[in-house]
Amino acid sequence: MAAESRDGDVTEASVRERLDRVTDPELDTSIVELEYIDEIRIDHAEGQDPSASRAVHVAMTLPTAWCSPAFAWMMTTDARDEVEALPGVTRATIELQEHMHEREINRGVNERLSFGEAFPDADGSVEPVRAELDEKARISRQHDATGALLDAGLDGDQIVALTRSDLDLDADADHARVWVRDGSLAVTVDADPLERYLEKARTTGLVDDDHPELFRTPEGDPVDPDAFETVRHRTRLAGVNMSGQGSVCDALHESRRAEDRPPLSMRSD
Amino acid sequence: MYEYEGEDVFVIDSHLHLWDATEENIVHEGGEQFIQCFYDYHTAFTPEEKQWSLEEYRKYGADRMKADLFGNAAVDMGIFQPTYLTDFYDDGFNTTEDNAELAEEHPERFVLNGTFDPRDGEEGLEYLEELNDEYDLQGVKLYTAEWRGDSKGWRLDSEESFRFLEKCAELGIRNIHPHKGPTIRPLNRDAFDVADVDDAATSFPELNFVVEHVGLPRLDDFCWIAAQEPNVYGGLAVAAPMAVHRPRKFGEIMGELLFWLGEDRLLFGSDYALWNPDWLVDVVMNAELTEEQRDEYGVELDLETKKKIMGENAAELYDIDIEAKKEQFESDDVTEEFGLADHYAGSSTAPADD
Repeated sequence: MAAESRDGDVTEASVRERLDRVTDPELDTSIVELEYIDEIRIDHAEGQDPSASRAVHVAMTLPTAWCSPAFAWMMTTDARDEVEALPGVTRATIELQEHMHEREINRGVNERLSFGEAFPDADGSVEPVRAELDEKARISRQHDATGALLDAGLDGDQIVALTRSDLDLDADADHARVWVRDGSLAVTVDADPLERYLEKARTTGLVDDDHPELFRTPEGDPVDPDAFETVRHRTRLAGVNMSGQGSVCDALHESRRAEDRPPLSMRSD
Repeated sequence: MYEYEGEDVFVIDSHLHLWDATEENIVHEGGEQFIQCFYDYHTAFTPEEKQWSLEEYRKYGADRMKADLFGNAAVDMGIFQPTYLTDFYDDGFNTTEDNAELAEEHPERFVLNGTFDPRDGEEGLEYLEELNDEYDLQGVKLYTAEWRGDSKGWRLDSEESFRFLEKCAELGIRNIHPHKGPTIRPLNRDAFDVADVDDAATSFPELNFVVEHVGLPRLDDFCWIAAQEPNVYGGLAVAAPMAVHRPRKFGEIMGELLFWLGEDRLLFGSDYALWNPDWLVDVVMNAELTEEQRDEYGVELDLETKKKIMGENAAELYDIDIEAKKEQFESDDVTEEFGLADHYAGSSTAPADD
C-alpha cells in the first residue's frame, strides 16, 4: 500500500492534512483541531482509475450560525484552496452547514465568486479584516516566542535587538539556535514558537520591511528596551483575547452539538 | 441582599432587559435570528438545570423578571439598558418605554437608561430630550451595530454622534454604555471595533464610557484604550457567565481587566435575560483566580474587589448611596412582596440571626 501512495493518491488523511493548515482567523487555531470538519468525501467514479484525479467534497459546521460571514468566508475559501492544492485533486467543493448565510457562502465559494459578489450588501472586501486578524495572531505568537527566549535565559534588551539573521532554525528538528552578544554566543531554544511567530511575521510583512528587528510593538515598530515589559503585557493580552474568544466559540459549539438540541431549521419558523 | 461568608454584598446588576421577541413582534428575519443567537449564548453558558425553553425566552414579562432578580435576593438594584432594533421588531425589542413598565413601578430599585441613534438626526435629538424629560436619564445604552435601512451601523466618534454626546453632557446624562460585543450579521464590517470609543472618551472627559461586554472579542483593544482613558469602564455582561463552564478562562480575563483597568472601573451585569442573576451572582462571587494567575497579573479577586465590581462601582457612577438604599429596602414594596426584610434588617441594627 505505502509503496503505491504517490502524489496522485488522494486519501481522507491527505485531505485532512491540507485542511489542518486552515485556521479560524479569529482564534488562530486549525479548523481540524477545532473539529469544524463534519465530512470529507472523495468521489470515486465507477470504473475510474484510482490514481486518476478526482473531486473532493468537504462539509463543515462553525460553532454558531451567527459566526461572522467574513470569517466563514475566509475559512471556506481557504479550505477550498488548500484542498485543491493537493496533487490529484481537480476540484474541491465546500458545504458550509447550519449557518445563517450558508446559501450565499456555498454558492460564492463553489462558483468562485468574490466576497463582494456573494454579498452585494457588504461594504468592502474581507481583506482588511483578514489583515487585522493576521496582525493579532502575530502579536499573540510573539508572546510565545519571546516567552521561549526569556525561558532560555535571554533578557529584554537582547530580545528586542534580535534580527532574522540571529536565528538559526535548522539546528535540529525541535530546536533553534539564537545568536546573542554580537554572535559570540548561541543559545538553544524550542523551535516551534519561533517558527510559528516567523510565519505570521512574514504574512504581516514584518520580515521584509524597513526594520531589521524581529520583534515589534503591536503597531509594528521596533521595541524600545524600556518598553519591553509593556509590550510583553500587550502580547499576553492579545493571546488571552484570542483564547477567550476561543472559549466562547467552544462553548457555543458544544451547546449546539448537544444531543437534545433541535437543528436550527426546526427552531425557526 | 447576597450574603458571602457572613458578609453582605450589595448587588447592582448593571445590564438588564425586558424584551419582546414573540413571533408577532418580529417583522424581519433578523429579528428571529437575533433571539436565536441570544438563545445559543444562553444555553452555552447556563447550567443545564437553569436553562429556559426558547418559548419562555421570547417574552418573560415584568412579573417573572422581578421574581428572577429579587426572589432569592441575588440582586438589590438593576440598571435597564434598552436595545431598540426597530428594523427587526415591530414595537422594538427592548425599548426604554418597555423597561419603564417595571422601572416606574419600583423606581427605588431600578435605574432606567435611554438611548440615541445619531442616524435619526434632529428627530433623534428631540427624542433624547423627551426621554430625559420623562425619565430624568443618567445614562444611555448605544448599539452601534444596529441595522437601520441600508445602514449597518454607526461610529461613536462620528460628527453626528458627537452632537448627541454634547447633548448628553448638556442634559447631565453622564453614563454612556456602547455595546461592543457579540452581535449577529456584522458582515465584513467589524461591529466589535472599539477604536471609536477612544476618540469619544478623549473628547468628552466629563462623560463615562462603560464598554459593554468589555469589547469581547476585542478585549485587547479595549484594555489598551481603557488603560489610557480614565473615563472608560468595562461592563462584564457576557464575560461573567464564562465563570460557569470556563472558570480558568474567566480568571484570565478578570486578571487582564484588573491589571489594565484596576478594580474601580469594572461593573457586573447579567445581561438578563441572556443570563439570570438568580444563579450568576453566586457563580461570580465564588469565582477565584488560580495562584498562577495571581502571580502572573499581580492582582487579587478578593471580597473587597468583588464588592466593588458587584455594586459599589455602579453606585459611584449612578450616585447611589448604598447605605441609604439598604435602609430604604427594609420595607419597600419589593421587600414586602418577596419577604426580604431579614436581608436588610442588619443594615441599621445588629445583624439578624438566621
